[in-house]
Amino acid sequence: MVLCAKHLKKSYIDSDQTITVLTDASLEVAPGDFICITGKSGSGKSTMLHIMGLLDSPDEGELWIGDKLVNSHSSDAPKIRNQELGFVFQFHYLIEDLNATENVALPLLIAGESEIEARARAKELLVHLGLAERLNRFPNQLSGGEQQRVSLARALVNKPKLVLADEPTGNLDPIYSSEVWNMMKSLNQELNQAFVIVTHDAEAASKADLVYDLVDGALIRN
Amino acid sequence: MDRLETFFLKRYIKHPKRNLFRFSFVFMVIGIILSVGILSAGLNLFQGYETNLKSLLLDSFPHVSIQSAYGELISQAELIRIKNKLAQKSEILSLTGSIESSLMVQTQDKVRAVNLRAYDFSEDFPYARYISKGSYDLQPKELIVGHYLAEELGLKIGDELILSYPRLDRITPLGIQNNQSTFTIAAIYRSGYYESDNSLVISTISDAKSLLMISDGYSKVELRLSDPDKASQYSREYIYLLGSEYIAIPWDLYAQSLLRLVTMEKWLIFIVFSFLVLIAGINVISAMSTIIIDKTREIAVLKTLGAGGHSIKRIFSWHVGLVALLAVIGGQILGLLLSWFVEIQSFYRLKGEVYFIDTLTADITWVNLAVVFAVSNLLIFACINIPLKQIENMQIIDIIRQRN
Repeated sequence: MVLCAKHLKKSYIDSDQTITVLTDASLEVAPGDFICITGKSGSGKSTMLHIMGLLDSPDEGELWIGDKLVNSHSSDAPKIRNQELGFVFQFHYLIEDLNATENVALPLLIAGESEIEARARAKELLVHLGLAERLNRFPNQLSGGEQQRVSLARALVNKPKLVLADEPTGNLDPIYSSEVWNMMKSLNQELNQAFVIVTHDAEAASKADLVYDLVDGALIRN
Repeated sequence: MDRLETFFLKRYIKHPKRNLFRFSFVFMVIGIILSVGILSAGLNLFQGYETNLKSLLLDSFPHVSIQSAYGELISQAELIRIKNKLAQKSEILSLTGSIESSLMVQTQDKVRAVNLRAYDFSEDFPYARYISKGSYDLQPKELIVGHYLAEELGLKIGDELILSYPRLDRITPLGIQNNQSTFTIAAIYRSGYYESDNSLVISTISDAKSLLMISDGYSKVELRLSDPDKASQYSREYIYLLGSEYIAIPWDLYAQSLLRLVTMEKWLIFIVFSFLVLIAGINVISAMSTIIIDKTREIAVLKTLGAGGHSIKRIFSWHVGLVALLAVIGGQILGLLLSWFVEIQSFYRLKGEVYFIDTLTADITWVNLAVVFAVSNLLIFACINIPLKQIENMQIIDIIRQRN
């Protein structure tokens, strides 16, 4: 098992009001899974993903990544985020001062790889994702689809066991959106990396092997 | 330094235009350059003042004066004996007998007290390099007069003046009887040390003896040393050799407290000017805070990718630190230019009667450059670290939620 979330609960306090977003959310992710989590806006999809990505901690419940019980405060959380998880967000979150290759090389540099090795692997992956002509372009010189592909490359470059994507095509037009979905699907099949994707796009979600609906704070398998 | 920090540092150095030149840095850079420039120039000028004053004191006075312990004159025979006893001392550059006395100088309309020194001009004249006008090759009844004294009395080369020596052994009902002699000014003496330039007249030994009614002898024996800083130590050795009928007075006996005061003033000024750098540090805090706010999203990205808080802090430290380092170097260059300008300008001179010397000089030493560099960087890097605490406290999830 790559990831196992058990009975996660999470609530927020907003203007003296307690808003419970997750009441009893459980999910198991096996290697090579391609899972989509759908739900209404504000249903807690992103919160679920953030907890799975160790960016946030649940109020109750357990999160296992591999054989480790972890949360966002764990001392090894940064290492797990770097080596076992990859992130793709709705906004590309690329660093504006770095070109495409350098942005993709970042997780490898954080992991301690040499710059030469990191650049070489980043280039290789970008070429694989069809961005051979864009290696030295800065984010503001790339189209929306290209930005998101660079972001996807950055999530994959460390060969994580699980890629977490939060509305990865939410900001893209239909052509680019379809391109990114197809790419994630083919990478999933090619590299056997697990994907958990949060989306409100039911049509896109239909490409997934498993689809969960987040209803009343719990995940229900479709 | 980990691989990520090295990567960013190399980028900053390779592409400074893209990474280091930001509008938010402009006031920080100006502040650092000005404050470090003033600090550096201030220290150079005070160092110059200290060096100049010490050099003038050493040049204007004997390094060691040997006098009779009983206030008597030293005869020619004694002078030869002293010379023989100290002949083996290799640190002694010159040894000359001199006469020194206070007396009065009189022109047509002015009278004032002066200090007479007399030398044997057949030997080396130790103050030759301070003769600003005329020749020091004195003939009988010729005098060398200090620059400010000549200015005050309205005297120039070729003018005459009267030296009066009040004879305390001849007090009459009409007053004290004076020995008087008329001299012609042959040269003007200007060392830059105000006390000397304002009160000194120099004559030949024979003229002084005649005026002061001395048949044989000198007031003191003047020694110049290769290492004047050891004058006190050598003085003790000479008295041991010469016997207790003599006393040896090192130059620092009367000048050391003045030099210590000047050194203390130099470092006080340094501390006061360092506060300017600290004030410039407020701009550094402001620039650092701005860049952290601007780069909040990137900090969140780096943390999401697994970078540690300390590593991100160091990346930002390098970013602002490199700019600050360049600004400090710029400030030191400005300090050198200011020092150079102060030296070459001629519209402002020090008041000699207040500051002892009348010229502003800068002395640039590696030690002072290093001290300014180290202290400036220390203060600025301390300021850089204050806003960095924000990075530690940033929660990735809050930043990502804000964006969403």
